[in-house]
Amino acid sequence: MLSIKNLQASVEDKQILKGLNLEVKAGEVHAIMGPNGAGKSTLGYVLSGREGYEVNGGEALLGETDLLDIEVEERAREGLFLAFQYPVEIPGVSNMEFMKAAVDAKREAAGEDALSSKEFLQRAKAACKQVNLPLEFLKRGVNEGFSGGEKKRNEIMQMMLLEPKLCILDETDSGLDIDALQVVAEGVNSQRSDDRAFIVVTHYQRLLDYIKPDFVHVLADGKIVKSGGPELALELEAQGYAWLDNGAEA
Amino acid sequence: MSVWLQTLKEGAKARIDDARTPVAERGAQLLKDAVWPTRKTEAWKYTSLHTLSDTDFAVGKTARANAQTIEGLDSSDLLFDGVRWHLPDQFEAGVKVATFSNLSPLEQSEIAADMMPVKPGRHLFGAINDLMVQDILVIDVEADAATTRPLRVVMNAIEGAVQHGRVWVRVAKGAKVEIIEQAEGEGQGLSTLISEYLVGDHAKLCHSRFQLVGGEHHAVGGCHIKLGEFARLRSTLVGFGSQMSRLDVDVEHAASHALAEMDAIYLLQGDELFDLHSTIEHAVPNGTTDENVRGIVTDSAKAVFNGRIHIHRDAQKTLAELNNRNLLLSDSARVSTKPELEIYADDVKCAHGATVAELDEEAIYYLQSRGISERDAKVMLNFGFINELVDKMPNEALGDWLRSKLKARFESMNKVDA
Ligand SMILES: Nc1ncnc2c1ncn2[C@@H]1O[C@H](COP(=O)(O)OP(=O)(O)O)[C@@H](O)[C@H]1O
Ligand SMILES: [Mg+2]
Repeated sequence: MLSIKNLQASVEDKQILKGLNLEVKAGEVHAIMGPNGAGKSTLGYVLSGREGYEVNGGEALLGETDLLDIEVEERAREGLFLAFQYPVEIPGVSNMEFMKAAVDAKREAAGEDALSSKEFLQRAKAACKQVNLPLEFLKRGVNEGFSGGEKKRNEIMQMMLLEPKLCILDETDSGLDIDALQVVAEGVNSQRSDDRAFIVVTHYQRLLDYIKPDFVHVLADGKIVKSGGPELALELEAQGYAWLDNGAEA
Repeated sequence: MSVWLQTLKEGAKARIDDARTPVAERGAQLLKDAVWPTRKTEAWKYTSLHTLSDTDFAVGKTARANAQTIEGLDSSDLLFDGVRWHLPDQFEAGVKVATFSNLSPLEQSEIAADMMPVKPGRHLFGAINDLMVQDILVIDVEADAATTRPLRVVMNAIEGAVQHGRVWVRVAKGAKVEIIEQAEGEGQGLSTLISEYLVGDHAKLCHSRFQLVGGEHHAVGGCHIKLGEFARLRSTLVGFGSQMSRLDVDVEHAASHALAEMDAIYLLQGDELFDLHSTIEHAVPNGTTDENVRGIVTDSAKAVFNGRIHIHRDAQKTLAELNNRNLLLSDSARVSTKPELEIYADDVKCAHGATVAELDEEAIYYLQSRGISERDAKVMLNFGFINELVDKMPNEALGDWLRSKLKARFESMNKVDA
C-alpha cells in the first residue's frame, strides 16, 4: 500500500530525512519509535505534502499513486490521513462545516454525490460518540479551546469520517491520560481492516499495548535504523535508543 | 455649502414650532454653525458626501414597514414606516414602549431631562436627526426587570425618500434587555437612525446594530450608549456597504466598573463604502472595554474605521483593547483604519492595533490535509475570520440568522473573483 524508497527531505536547507525506506502493506500496523528530532513528524509532513518540506530524493507511492507528485488535498483524497501531533485551532470554522467539506471533497473526487446534511450529521454523531466527544464539539470552532486530549480525539473522529487507506498517527497518545488513551486506541482498532494500514508514531510502549503493531521500526537521524516485531518496542522501552546509535555507527 | 443642508437650516425655525420632540431645538442650535463637511473635515476625511449634498429626496414618504421573522427568535418588533412607529399592543412585564408623543406630559418632561446627555453634539447627522425627527421611540425597562424577549427595531430604506428614525432607551438599575436594531433595503435615498441608551447601574444591555442597507442608499447611523456603575454592554455591529454608509458609535463609561464588549463586522464589495467611527470615553476608574472590529473588503470597495478610546486622567485601572483586522480580497479594495488610544491616566492596561490580516498558512495546510482544496480552504478561513465574532453572540438564533446573511453576501463576494 505504501512504498517509501530512499526518501530524502530537508527543511530550511537542513537535511532531515536521509534515505528512508519503508514498506507498509494493507491491513498492517507499523509503529515508528525514535528519539526526539529524529524526523518522525517530518516524515508525516513530507508524505502529506506540507509546504517548506523539500523532497530531494527518493519516492513514495500510495498504491499506484506517486504521492510526491500531487497536491496536499489530492493526497488526502487518495486516502492518506495524518493525525497531527499538534492539531491546529481554527476559530470561526466549525468542526461540522470543516468535516462536511472534507468528506464531500473526497466523495466528489471519487465521483460520488455529496452527502445530505442529515446523512452526514448521523455519521458525525456516530464518530463523536465513538471517541467520546460531546456532540456540541461539532458546532465549535475546529479545535478551538479544546484540551490536548480533545484535540487528539477530534483527529481520530476526522479519521473515522474520512475512511482513509493509510493513517499516520503522530504521537496521538502524547498528553493523554490512560482513559483517553484507551478511547483513542479503541477508535483506532475499530477502524482496522484488511484494506487499511496504520503507521503509529509513538514514544511509549503503553499505546502499543492497546494498538498491537505488526512491525516496529526505529527512526533515528532521518532513517529507519532498525525494524522488528512487537518485541522491539519492549526492548526500546527498557533500554532507550542509545544502544542503537552505537550499533548503527559500528 | 450643500443646498440640502441650507434648506434644512432655513426651515429650522418652522420645524421647531411644530416639532413634537424635545430635541428639535437642540438640533437647530447645533446646526446653526454647522458647515457641510468636506474632505478637509477630520470626521469625514475618507467619506465624501458629495453624492448627497444636492439631493432632493422626498420628505414624509412612507412605506409599509416589514420585517421578516427571524427563525427561532421570539422578538417584539417595533417598525418604522418612514414617519411613524408601529408597535405591538403588548409587551413583556417590566418593559414599556411608546412613542414620545404618546406619553403623558409628566412622563415627557421626565424623559426629556434624561434625553439630552447621551448623544454627543458633534455629529452633524445627529443634529439633523434632532431637528427633523417626527417622533421618538421610547423604550423604558424597569429596574431589575430580567426580560427575555428581545425588542427589534426595524427601519428599512425607502426609495427616493429621506427619513429620520430615533430611538431612546433607558435600562434601569439591575435590569436586563436585548435590543436589535436592523436596517435593510436599497435604492436612492437617505436614512438616519439614531439610538441612545442609558444603561443604569448593574444593568445589562445586549445590543445589535445591523446596518445592512446597500445599493445607492445613503445611511447614517448613530448608537450612543452611556454606562452606569457595573453596567454591562455586549454589542455586535454589522455593516454592509452602500453608496454611503456611516455609523458613529459612542460609549461613555460614566461610572466605574462598567464593561463594554463590542464587536463589529463589515463585508464590502463592488464600489461600496462603509465608514465606522467609534469613540469610547473612559472618564472614571475601573472600566473595561474590549472592541474587535473585523472586515473583509473586495472589488474596489472601501472601508473606513476610526476608533478612539479616550482614557481620562481619573480613569485609573482601565482595561482597554481595540483591534481592527482586515482582509482585502482584491488589489483595489481599500481600508483606511485608525485605531487610537489616548491615555491620560498612568495605571491602565491597554492595547490596540490594526492589521491587514494574512491567512494562517498552517490552518490552510491543515484544511488541505483533509482533502479541502486550497481555494476552498481560503474561503472557509476568510469566513471564519468574521464568523468568529458571530460565534460570540449570546443569542444563538440571532447569530444563526446573521451567519446565513453574512454567508450569502460572502458567497456573492467570492463569485466575482473566480
Ligand atoms: N519547520 C521547521 N523548521 C526548521 N527545522 C525543523 C522544522 N520542522 C522540523 N525541524 C527540524 O527537523 C528535525 C526533525 O524534527 P521532527 O520531524 O519534528 O522530529 P520528531 O518528530 O522525530 O521529534 C529536528 O531537528 C527539527 O528541529
Ligand atoms: Mg514529532
